Amino acid sequence: MSIIASTGILNHVDGSSEFESHSTKVVCSVTGPIEPKARQELPTQLALEIIVRPAKGVPNTREKLIEDKLRGVLTPLIARYLYPRRLCQITFQVMEAGEPELEFSQRELSCCINAAVLALVDSGIGLLAMASSVPLAIIKGQLVVDPNAQQLQESQSVHTLALEITESGKNVQNILLLDSTGAFTQNELFQILSQGEERCLTLVQELRKVLGDRINSEIIRTKT
Amino acid sequence: MASSEADTVEVHPVTFPPQVLARISPELSLQRHLSLGIRPSLKRFEEFRDVHIDQNTLSRYKLENAASEDSTNSVLGSNVLKSGKTFVITSITGGIVEETLPVETEDPGEQELEDLTKGRDEISKFAPVYPLVEVERGRVGAPTDEEMTISQKLHDYVLHSGLIPKSSLKVQCGVRTTEKSGEAKVLYPDEDVDVSTSIRTLSQRKWSYVLYAKIVVFSRTGPVFDLCWNSLLYALQDTRLPRAFIDERATDLKMTIRTRGRSASVRETYEILCDPRRSIPLKISRESVGYASSFGVIDLDPEMALDQEDHDMEKEERQPILLADLDTEAEEACIQSTICIITDSNGNLKNIDILGGGARVTPAILRRAINLAQLRARNLEFLTAPEV
Amino acid sequence: MAKDIEFSTSENKFILDALRQNLRLDGRSFDQFRDVDIKFGKEYGDVTVTMGKTKIHCRISCQIAQPYEDRPFEGLFLISTETSPMAGPQFENGNSTGEDEVLCVRIIEKAVRRSGALDVEGLCIVAGSKCWAIRADVHFLDCDGGLLDASCIAVMTALLHFKKPDITVLGDRVTVHPTDEREPVPLGILHIPICVTFSFFNPQDTEENIKGDSNAEIAIIDANLKEELLRDGTLTVTLNKNREVVQVSKAGGLPMDALSLMENCYKAYTITEKLTDQILACVKEDDSKRNQYAGLLSSENARDAT
Repeated sequence: MSIIASTGILNHVDGSSEFESHSTKVVCSVTGPIEPKARQELPTQLALEIIVRPAKGVPNTREKLIEDKLRGVLTPLIARYLYPRRLCQITFQVMEAGEPELEFSQRELSCCINAAVLALVDSGIGLLAMASSVPLAIIKGQLVVDPNAQQLQESQSVHTLALEITESGKNVQNILLLDSTGAFTQNELFQILSQGEERCLTLVQELRKVLGDRINSEIIRTKT
Repeated sequence: MASSEADTVEVHPVTFPPQVLARISPELSLQRHLSLGIRPSLKRFEEFRDVHIDQNTLSRYKLENAASEDSTNSVLGSNVLKSGKTFVITSITGGIVEETLPVETEDPGEQELEDLTKGRDEISKFAPVYPLVEVERGRVGAPTDEEMTISQKLHDYVLHSGLIPKSSLKVQCGVRTTEKSGEAKVLYPDEDVDVSTSIRTLSQRKWSYVLYAKIVVFSRTGPVFDLCWNSLLYALQDTRLPRAFIDERATDLKMTIRTRGRSASVRETYEILCDPRRSIPLKISRESVGYASSFGVIDLDPEMALDQEDHDMEKEERQPILLADLDTEAEEACIQSTICIITDSNGNLKNIDILGGGARVTPAILRRAINLAQLRARNLEFLTAPEV
Repeated sequence: MAKDIEFSTSENKFILDALRQNLRLDGRSFDQFRDVDIKFGKEYGDVTVTMGKTKIHCRISCQIAQPYEDRPFEGLFLISTETSPMAGPQFENGNSTGEDEVLCVRIIEKAVRRSGALDVEGLCIVAGSKCWAIRADVHFLDCDGGLLDASCIAVMTALLHFKKPDITVLGDRVTVHPTDEREPVPLGILHIPICVTFSFFNPQDTEENIKGDSNAEIAIIDANLKEELLRDGTLTVTLNKNREVVQVSKAGGLPMDALSLMENCYKAYTITEKLTDQILACVKEDDSKRNQYAGLLSSENARDAT
């Protein structure tokens, strides 16, 4: 899969990243831990404020649903007990949806998850595990990993898979999110899980490489 | 004296009645219940709440009885669903919009292009409903995140499941003609061949119905997405659409407008009217009907179990267990791994939502959940079956 | 804007002292505009403008809508500028009710929409019933001052770059041709307004500023975030290449010598000229890149040939 990713692209936030796959492009920024508003504060844990902004138009319920799913994925990843009564703002700006927005949000969701992992690492907030995510589609019985906009439209069912990955990106800890919709069978579902797992594991290596390259380049800069 | 008394002080363990413990430490209370093989709601692990439904009690078109139609009622289909203590009321209303982007053209030159575009989009053949979910909390205010996400999910899943083909929402527009005697008559193209040709010359425009669903949830005791989905599905299956017509005299109405010294004749939007008497059932694709079941996955923690003495030496592995039909505050708050499955009784899956924030969702558990959802779908399908 | 950011007194003093000595922290001279970098996305009307550490993304989209009843011959044009914490933690999500945010939105609105930069009459499809609705979504990605100037550049570049799908009108039936079927058409842009913002500082006390004859007030162009927070007054002039003033906004703040405003306008004009040329060159370059294969892709040409 061709992904283009970079971190530390913004100056006024604690962590930021840009993630591009096919023609979907997302910028993510992380600010935290900062002081929360009274209504957001949690007495024992880090509160998360997740904001998704669409490429076109104003945010509505579609973005709210993406935010809700992202919250479900990101909450178990972050070591929230480390920062009681603090707030972490995670903001996503979709630069290019890369899919028909009225009908699909799979590509955006999975790019947001990958971008968030990069930006969270960049921000230095404590994480319990890595994660990676990939969209899938089934077209006439054929499974397509990481479908493009055209393939999504031809598909009978579409899926977003996000996995929690530990041990240097080798062990799949749990399914963080599986969001499947359309018409499909149980066999297809398990096929999706196994093929999606494969792709998520290679993807997490690519994410680690992006982060590693970034750290390497910074170390060299301080030496010279 | 004081010192000798202090020697005999006994330490009493603090005990709470179960209701208090459930408030103070829902996690512990839940685990203790589960260690006894029962849930706080006194259900078994894989037991669903009973579901009762009432079809079309609020609608304009009462079942099989066109005469008792209430012409002031604009609800086209409705359902009241009761599950445990929770009530869900769904009412379907509709509107008619003009299609701004006509895909089909009768130009022969464009025909080849049309063939190219045909069959390209799977999803574009289907229409969504536009739901509005309200979860009653005893106060009014801006919609909560839960209401917004459930609404959006319902919209997305109806669209993706292919439940409502666009063709069944097309308005077969009739014409109202006024006879010489002054009597108005409405004719529809599928009943009268002459009308279908005359209507094509009268109007080049196309209209389609849009469906809105208002879903109100009373006394919410746990996650409600599955209840809303099921209620919506029941309501859609008994929805009827009113026939619509345009008045013959209004079809060629033009008016002149003038702004800043320029004038043009602007065609007035057609007055499209709904027939107060005639209606047709909404055709939904029956094979796409599926029902939702929700599940939770939680690790049994042996340290929190009630009968601790039995196994304090042997270190037991945490075992994930499957709970069906999440209910009660404790289950909602403590169970981070959830599965929601929409399927029909034959195992044709429509939707699966897994959120694995807590216990591990293993393939075995997923298989079991799908199995249960399938059985449940059979039961729920049976509720709408005509009574024998 | 940026109410929550606070600098130490010593830093404040340092910046002001440096200004008195004709120096700016980033090494620019007083009337030097930051270098503007313009990048285009994959689709038409997708522009990212970078100005120093300020980064703004603008996205144009269009759809068919019904025109306003009192303006049946005109299309719709809307500029949306919503803030998000991405640009900096001082911004709240979707809350543009702060005084500076409202001012910023109003000035962009005046500079671009009300100056008639976009030919809205050209957006009319069927008078009174159908027209194009053009929407410009401005996303602030990174804020280091000069949001207004950068937004204006971003919106104008995106409008110049954007192409809407071609349509055929047959009676009152409108057919929209997908972009892969027929070459899309650009928007009608009548002129390119460019905003230039001046920030004023008072090196002396208030009395000298009002009564004195020295006119020693400092005016700098294109302030960065820190300078924006410290400034005593601001002036935004919007000009186009035809030497026309589109909009002038000096809402209170430090009283300035009237003649120095004229001088400022003159300085702004040279910047406007430079930026206009840069924008046009960028759009042209991108267009020629895209059109490399236009001849091969266009179905119209193939049909004409047969």
